[in-house]
Amino acid sequence: MGYANSDRGAAAPMAVKILIAGGFGVGKTTLVGAVSEVPPLRTEEYLTHASVGVDDLEGVSGKATTTVALDFGRITINKRLVLYLFGTPGQERFWFMWNDLVNGALGAVVLVDTRRLEVSFASIDFFESRGIPFVVGVNCFHGVRDRTQEEVRKALDLDPQVPLVLCDARDRAAGRDVLLALVDHLMAARSGTTPRPAV
Amino acid sequence: MRHWTEGFEDDDAEESLVRPYTITGGRTAPERDDLALITLVTTVSGSLAETGRGRLRMQPEHRAVFDLCKRPQAVAEIAAALNLPVSVTKILVGDLVESGHVRARPPLAFARAGGLPDMAILEAVRDGLREL
Repeated sequence: MGYANSDRGAAAPMAVKILIAGGFGVGKTTLVGAVSEVPPLRTEEYLTHASVGVDDLEGVSGKATTTVALDFGRITINKRLVLYLFGTPGQERFWFMWNDLVNGALGAVVLVDTRRLEVSFASIDFFESRGIPFVVGVNCFHGVRDRTQEEVRKALDLDPQVPLVLCDARDRAAGRDVLLALVDHLMAARSGTTPRPAV
Repeated sequence: MRHWTEGFEDDDAEESLVRPYTITGGRTAPERDDLALITLVTTVSGSLAETGRGRLRMQPEHRAVFDLCKRPQAVAEIAAALNLPVSVTKILVGDLVESGHVRARPPLAFARAGGLPDMAILEAVRDGLREL
């Protein structure tokens, strides 16, 4: 087994992360909570330079700091590996200030709500533009499946190689399957059976 | 009459955590830039927790991190447990790394390098998820 750098701090496990993204209210924290072994934790960061280089902050001008919250959970994979799931802040415009978010990320799940697809556009753009592998999880609230997968793909203008899976973010097994879809996607990309994600 | 310093020596963590940047001695940026949200922090057993040069800097918050990380914790978990901003937590963890009280293990930087994770890691994650 070749975990890189395993000679340093051999007793300590290594951490990896999957990002759970999507617009406000699409069920990110719900999904994190469904699969996490601990209740979702919350941490906050002060972004003290939020006005630098950003021209659309009229709503928060005058504020010295902006607080951005992250909800996250944990899945202990084995003694040597811990997987963290980070629900990302809804306001993607702040992400550039939080490069730490993508550091160590295997990839991302972008959750969408078919009634409000547009709220997840920014997340898809973010991962596409940075070449970070992702899958789309269609959160079927209360079993509502009002659009076909093809309709959702078309509306999101999704690259054909990006997997799209239906799920119920409240359900542990469904949440697990979305994460597994991402891992399968990464393994396929790794072994070269699908083109590498566009960079 | 209350003196303005009253409460400054209060060891109750809940009380002291309302002044995050007092805890850090006014520092607002970590001296180390290698601590990430999921850097795993582990207490070094038998380190200078109670004696030696580390003792002088062992504020209640440092001690809280030290105690918490007897089981490895990510920086984000420490921040959540102590109800501190991530930047403040990184400063505290950085202090403890410097003083030899804890060891920090950074995540692998796949996304930053534009690369894909090691197949062995992916297989381990897949197998672990299937156990859920």
